[in-house]
Amino acid sequence: MKVSLNWLKDYIDLKGIPSNDIVERLTMSGLEVEDVVDETAIYKDFIVAYVKEKKKHPNADKLSLCTVNTGTEDLQVICGAPNVEAGQKVVFAPIGTLIPKGNFKITKAKIRGVESYGMICAEDELDLSDDHSGIMVLDEKVSVGKSIADELSLNDTIMEIAITPNRPDALSHIGVARDLAAIYNKEFKLPWFKLQESSHKVKDFASVEIEDTENCPRYTAMVVRNVKVKESPEWLKNRLTKIGLRPINNVVDITNFVMYELGQPLHAFDLDRLAGHKIIVKSTEVESTFKTLDSKERKLPAGTLIICDGEKPVAIAGVMGGENSEISNSTKNILIESAFFNPASVRRTSKRLGLSTEASYRFERWVDPSGTLPAAERTAQLIAELGEGEILNGVIDVYPEKIIEKEVPLRFERIKRVLGYSIPNEKVISILKRLGLKVKFESEKEYRFSVPTYRSDIEREIDLIEEIARINGYDNIPTISKISISLGEKVDESSFVDQTREIACVLGFYEMLNNPLQGEDLTEITGNRIQVLNPQSIDMAYLRTSLIPGALTAVAKNINVGEKNLKLFEIGNVFNLNPDKEKIESFYDFTEVQKLVFILTGKENEKTWQQQEKLFDIYSLKGIVDSYLLRLSLDKAAADSYYHNEETIYDLYFTKSYKGKILGTGGRIKKELLKQFDIPQDVFCFEFDLNLLRSIKPEQRKYKEPLKYPKSTRDLAFVFEKSVTYEQVIKFIWQMSSELLKSVRIFDLFENPSLGKSKKSMAFSLEYYSEERTLTEEEIEKEFSKLISEVTKKFNATLRGT
Amino acid sequence: MLEEKISEINSGFNQDIVTIKDQKQLEELRIKYFSRNGLVSQLFNELKNASKEEKPVLGKSLNTLRNDLTARFDSLKVKLEISKEKEEDKIDLSLPGTRRIIGSRHLITQTLDEIKTIFKGLGFSVVGGPELESDYNNFGALNFPPNHPARDMQDTFFITEDFLLRTHTSPVQIRVMEKYKPPIRVIMPGLCYRNEAISSRSYCVFHQVEGLYVDTDVTFAELKGTLVSFAQQFYGEGLKYRFRPSFFPFTEPSAEMDITCFLCHGKGCRVCKHSGWLEILGCGMVDPNVFDNVNIDHEKYTGYAFGMGIERTALLKYGIDDIRIFFENDFRFLRQF
Ligand SMILES: [Zn+2]
Repeated sequence: MKVSLNWLKDYIDLKGIPSNDIVERLTMSGLEVEDVVDETAIYKDFIVAYVKEKKKHPNADKLSLCTVNTGTEDLQVICGAPNVEAGQKVVFAPIGTLIPKGNFKITKAKIRGVESYGMICAEDELDLSDDHSGIMVLDEKVSVGKSIADELSLNDTIMEIAITPNRPDALSHIGVARDLAAIYNKEFKLPWFKLQESSHKVKDFASVEIEDTENCPRYTAMVVRNVKVKESPEWLKNRLTKIGLRPINNVVDITNFVMYELGQPLHAFDLDRLAGHKIIVKSTEVESTFKTLDSKERKLPAGTLIICDGEKPVAIAGVMGGENSEISNSTKNILIESAFFNPASVRRTSKRLGLSTEASYRFERWVDPSGTLPAAERTAQLIAELGEGEILNGVIDVYPEKIIEKEVPLRFERIKRVLGYSIPNEKVISILKRLGLKVKFESEKEYRFSVPTYRSDIEREIDLIEEIARINGYDNIPTISKISISLGEKVDESSFVDQTREIACVLGFYEMLNNPLQGEDLTEITGNRIQVLNPQSIDMAYLRTSLIPGALTAVAKNINVGEKNLKLFEIGNVFNLNPDKEKIESFYDFTEVQKLVFILTGKENEKTWQQQEKLFDIYSLKGIVDSYLLRLSLDKAAADSYYHNEETIYDLYFTKSYKGKILGTGGRIKKELLKQFDIPQDVFCFEFDLNLLRSIKPEQRKYKEPLKYPKSTRDLAFVFEKSVTYEQVIKFIWQMSSELLKSVRIFDLFENPSLGKSKKSMAFSLEYYSEERTLTEEEIEKEFSKLISEVTKKFNATLRGT
Repeated sequence: MLEEKISEINSGFNQDIVTIKDQKQLEELRIKYFSRNGLVSQLFNELKNASKEEKPVLGKSLNTLRNDLTARFDSLKVKLEISKEKEEDKIDLSLPGTRRIIGSRHLITQTLDEIKTIFKGLGFSVVGGPELESDYNNFGALNFPPNHPARDMQDTFFITEDFLLRTHTSPVQIRVMEKYKPPIRVIMPGLCYRNEAISSRSYCVFHQVEGLYVDTDVTFAELKGTLVSFAQQFYGEGLKYRFRPSFFPFTEPSAEMDITCFLCHGKGCRVCKHSGWLEILGCGMVDPNVFDNVNIDHEKYTGYAFGMGIERTALLKYGIDDIRIFFENDFRFLRQF
């Protein structure tokens, strides 16, 4: 909300306090000033000047060569505006002046060969409006040579204040002034005016009836007759333009002015357009349509609080008036509405209609129910004054159940308990009094205060403590430098994920973070997705069911910018609706699981002067998965299964499982899917379920004494049928060997016509040893030759000559 | 006579050996002393002329001399050979080594970890919670009344009327207080969602770290002390700070903590919107209504809570001007950190 410092000064004496101090203190007491425009600083260098003479520029048709008198000297100035004429008083920027628009300094310039000593300004250059049609021509009355800051009253300080939702009372100049009074311990005065009523009784001209008193607890109305709707006087237009409002006519401007002054939204009806001169406040029973004063046809759902006349709706209560009862230039008689509507009701209507106005913004936060009457009177008086109208005698004030002031107790010791320091009782009481609270009960340890109705946020002791804390200043709360820590059990639920990240990094992976909100195309690949009710766009309408689509998107994007060799990982949550559910009604209807994805593509290493280039393949992926599990001490626990061409997203893949539960799946992404992502190269990825993985207790590793006896290695190669897998052979070798065999490693694999048709060679290196003794040559030889004969027999293999 | 010669040869050898620089000179030295007509052999020839009594003594001295000189010659020879080898090997050490690529955690994770480490040092536990939350945990239990404008502070993605994507990590506070009894001292990091227009300053998902401390005598003064300690560890000693009153439905009194803008040192710049201050976190004393909602006696216990956005923190710390870069996963960005 924009607040004018000059306007505030109508209610509080701030003489001698610099504006930056006011800004600082407001911010530090909870009314955060987000931006400040100090007009005096901006406009002090601009002066009123007199155009003595205007000639044509010798070298340019559209430019004028003017002689400008600044009060002290005559200057030659070139002006491009079509409306500049001799005899005008204008805004002049001498050399050195900083122009607000564009933020540049005026210098001596040569324009088409003629020198110019300053600039005659248009409104847009001064940031006063967007008007650049011509220069500003000033009133005759202004004095040449004086700064425009004074002459045009451009000497205000405009603050943009961010009002938090708990402080609707501060959504007005009075509200801000009230806080300032408490901050500076100063007197604060409400606007003073004298209501001049005619002898005609208002009750004879209009009536008000509330049907829905729950949603409209109070409705105050006044009538002003024979009003002249016309342009507002300068002072009023000035007040409004300073805070960014566009003046319209005196009646509309006055309702706006009073709203920004007192915080009460007001509405002015053309009384003669109200059928039966009647106001009825009620909630609609059926859906209907209504044309608001912005000429838009709006659909009102059943249960919308509306204002009706004797026949028809004339306004949406608290939100916007209707076109059918709007003030026009020919309006004569005005009914002023000053009401208190139920905040929740106004908010509901505003949300349903998608229509938020300055009025609804205030009503849905809370306006002062006690303030409707003074606001109506203030408005009536101003309309009568500025529109030469006649205020009818009396007020129509329907207020069936008075909202009374709350009483809140305060124990002084509790202040120290919460804030950590003591404030003298007298000071506490004085702060609360300055904020408008009254002492209702007092004892040594406890007071009870009544809270004015404009402070809806103060209901409990803690709310009083907050008021005391903020007005006394958070800076005064000590910053202690010693804390005590209880020695209970500490948990770190993130430690497993941290360990996973560390391993992934050591394995050469970079961490990525993808948006869990994804489009239809990505989420339909995997899982039973959950939809967002109010998505921002169709690309973000679903929650991810897997980390893989996001990872593929990242890969595609990188390949697109020339980053073709990638090793990425992500840890994130994925969401799936349970298969038998249509909609989430409880936490048991869906799963949210933390997953880990490894994704690789391109080259494992580039060709170097020492190494050959190598592309990632399925075995790179397998190795990474195994290394990860090994580091978690889960390598022994997890079992492998292999598949070709069965699942939807891989053409070959494998799983890791533990006690029948699949810990993770991964493999080579199918070509069709890669095409969908525009990825022209092989991509390998593996996705782990971290919730499962975390739940497995790894075997506690035990120290093993280093081997004291020598190891013996034997190498051998067999020629197999191509259909024989590595796994079959290795399982068999382990199965038929004695415990002397300690490791088997495949070190060569090839196919070659010389081996025979559909044959392949696999070479193994075997390691034998015992922890208890040195093995003899004979023992090893026996093992080894048994292995050869069994393997050849089992697989119909032949031993290759070594 | 002979003894004199022995000592002469010895000192002569001492002088000669220091001048040897290469194989050629070494060979000359060998010829001079150890060849058949070399100086040492000559002495052995002269031994024949010695008397019977002198012979054993001189013979012994002569042998010592020979062994001594030979040993020194050999060691020099080895030394020269090593340097010869090095020269011949021609290892070009300027060739690049074989590098192993070690990946890295995302900058957001790194920032989060840094924050986590500091709070763990202050005795905080680390706890997580789900992203798909109930409206109750995210709003209701945190003292956001239904249909209240306070909800507008956090634009929400809804899944159903009662379930949503959490807009802050604060619902984890509710889960923790429902599960554990005070004293509770935890931080709760995690991903949050806001239905805000995507721009360089805001994105629809972001990370937060929430903190909560509940005990019998927790005060605002301790909240200030703890957060100042955090800020000094994270942003550097000697920074200036201020606590500004603010509003969060689940804390009362509430505050926002600002530190002096470290880009302009308080003079005012674009990043701090010319205020000289940077807002780094929101905090406050746990609202008694929240305690009531989790059945903690608000007369007996007090507590503080705080929360900060990680993306914003990282933007400031690393001078990044577009928040979207964190979720683009551009390898050229990821590799930088
Ligand atoms: Zn700055």
